[in-house]
Amino acid sequence: MRKLRGIPFVALLLMVFGFQKNPGVQGTTLIIQFRVFIHGEPLLLNKKYKNPFGETFEISRFRFYAGKIAPVYADTTLKINISPAYHLIDFSDSASTAIKLSAPAGTYSGIQFQLGIDSIDQYRGAQSGDLDPIKGMFWTWNSGYLSFKIEGYSPVSNQPAQVIAYHIGGFRYPYNTVWKIRLDSTNDVPFQVSGENKITIEVAMELDNFFDNTNPLHINEISTCTTPGLLAKKISENFTGIFAGLTIRNYP
Amino acid sequence: MKSTGIIAAIAFCCVMWITGPFPFQIPKGFPPPVYRFQNNPRTKQGFELGRKLFYDGKLSKDGNFPCSSCHQQFAAFATYEHRLSHGFNNQFSFRNAPGLFNLAWEKEMHWDGGINHIEVQPLAPLLDPHEMAEDLNQVIGKLKKDKDYPALFNRAFGSPGINSQRIMRALAQFTASLVSADAKYDQVKRGTAHFNVYEQKGYEIFQQKCAHCHQEPLFTDFSYRNTGMESDSTLNDFGRMRITGRKDDSLKFRVPSLRNVFLTFPYGHDGRFSTISQVLEHYNSGIIPSATLDSSLRNGIPISNDDRFYLISFLGTLTDSSFIKNPLYGDPQAGVRDTPPVDVH
Repeated sequence: MRKLRGIPFVALLLMVFGFQKNPGVQGTTLIIQFRVFIHGEPLLLNKKYKNPFGETFEISRFRFYAGKIAPVYADTTLKINISPAYHLIDFSDSASTAIKLSAPAGTYSGIQFQLGIDSIDQYRGAQSGDLDPIKGMFWTWNSGYLSFKIEGYSPVSNQPAQVIAYHIGGFRYPYNTVWKIRLDSTNDVPFQVSGENKITIEVAMELDNFFDNTNPLHINEISTCTTPGLLAKKISENFTGIFAGLTIRNYP
Repeated sequence: MKSTGIIAAIAFCCVMWITGPFPFQIPKGFPPPVYRFQNNPRTKQGFELGRKLFYDGKLSKDGNFPCSSCHQQFAAFATYEHRLSHGFNNQFSFRNAPGLFNLAWEKEMHWDGGINHIEVQPLAPLLDPHEMAEDLNQVIGKLKKDKDYPALFNRAFGSPGINSQRIMRALAQFTASLVSADAKYDQVKRGTAHFNVYEQKGYEIFQQKCAHCHQEPLFTDFSYRNTGMESDSTLNDFGRMRITGRKDDSLKFRVPSLRNVFLTFPYGHDGRFSTISQVLEHYNSGIIPSATLDSSLRNGIPISNDDRFYLISFLGTLTDSSFIKNPLYGDPQAGVRDTPPVDVH
C-alpha cells in the first residue's frame, strides 16, 4: 500500500520534469552578427570616407553596448524571456561583434535589444566582464556607462588634432540615451527557431544614418560630445536609426 | 543525519575561521545603511586588503598619491589644513577633500553627487589626471607583479585573480567600514556622558538653526543646496548642474556631514572658509542671492556672537577621537598617526 501511494507522486514529478525537458526550452544557438556599413559598403576603421554632408572623416574607434536581447515572437501574446546580459560590441575586436546566445524555440518575427545600460543596471557598483570600467566605457566623474563611443578624425573638426569624439551616455530623465531597438526580419518573415537550426542573424548598421537623421549631425558644428545632456540624447536618437534591419541566415 | 549535521557545522566553522566573521555593526540610533556589502560580503581579509590598497602609492601614477595622501586619518580622512588637495605633477584637486566616515549611509558621493555607488567611487580620483592620474591597466599590472597582492586577493575573494572589480570591492570593504559614531554627542545620546551648559545651549541653537539641513544622527540630509557662495572664477564650479545638466541645480552642492567638523577644515566645496567662525558668519551676513539660492537662506541665518560661541561649543562634541585613533583604520605599515605630522604640508 505504501509503495502504491507513492506512484501518483512520482508520476506528478515525471510530468513536471518531463515538461521542463521540452527541447525548445534548452535553446537553439543564435548568433547575432553586427556589421557597420557606409553608403552600403562595409566600414573599415581608419579609412577616409565622406558623410552625407560631404564632410571627410575616418573612424578609429566604434563601440556600443547591446543588452537584454530577446526574441520578438510572431505570436505577440507569448511571454518574452529577456537575457539580462550586456555585450560590448567593439568593431576593433571582430570576436566581440558576434553575440552567441541560447535562444528559446519559437516563431520569431525579429529580435529586440537595448542600446546602452538602463537605470537599474547603472547602480550595481563595480562590475566585471564587458562592464569592467577598464573597457573605457564608464564615466568616473559622473557614474555611468556610455551607450556608445565613436572616435576618429576629420579635417573639418573644430577640435585640436582634428579629433572627433562622440562619447554618448546618460541614463537619467530627461537626457536618457538608452533605447529599446526592435528589428524585424527583412528576408524571411517570420522565421523558425528550433532545436535543429543554428541561426545567424546579421544586423546591418548604416553609418550614413548617424549623420543624416532626425538631428542632422554636421562634424564641423559638433565635433565632440562627451557629457550627458540634451545634445547626447539627440545624438543617441540618430544612433538608433543606424540599425537598418535584420537578415536571417539558416544553417541546418 | 546527525553526522552530516556535525560535518556541516565543522565545515561552517572552518570557513568562518579562514574568512573570519566580520559583522558590520550599525551604531545605535543610525538608520539602515544604503550599502550592505551586497555582492561583496565583508570579511577580515577583504577589509585588510582594502586597507592596504587605500594606503598604497602603487594606485597612483608616480607612486606618491595613495588614497591616504588626501584622506588622512588624523583629519577624519579629509586633507588636513588644505583648501584643495595636492595631486600628480604639482596639481590641485578640483574640490576640497571630504572626510571619509559613515560612507555606508551615502547614496551618492562627491560634492555634486556624481558618484552613484561606493564601489565605483575610487575610480574618480584614481583616473583623474589632477589626482592619482593612473590608468586601471597599469594599476592591475603593478598589483599582479607585487610579491604580496596576488595571494592577498586570492585569500580575500576565494580564487586567484586581480581585476578592477576586486580592487574596487576590496576598497569598498574598507571605506564602508569607516564608522564614526563615538563622539561626545553619541555618548550623550547613549546616556554615558553629559553636555556641559555651553554645549547644551549650542545644541538647542543647532536644532533650531542648522538641523534643518544637517540632520541628526548623520548631520546631513544628503540634499544638494545653493548656500549663497559665489562661484570661484578660476574653478567655475557650478556643482550639481554638472551632473544633472539642469539649470535648477546650478551652484548646488551636497550638505556635508558636520561630524568631526573640528578636524575637517577648511570648509566649503572649494575650501574657502578656514574656520567654523567664518562659515557661521557666511550664513549670518555673507549669503549671495541667486536664482537657485536655497529658500531657507533668503534672509540668511541670524547668528549672534553668543550663538556662535555656543554653536562652536556644541560642534566640538562631534569630534570622534576614538575614530581617528582606531588602529583598524590606520596605515598597516606605519600604524596610526593621530596628529598631523609636522613635516607634511
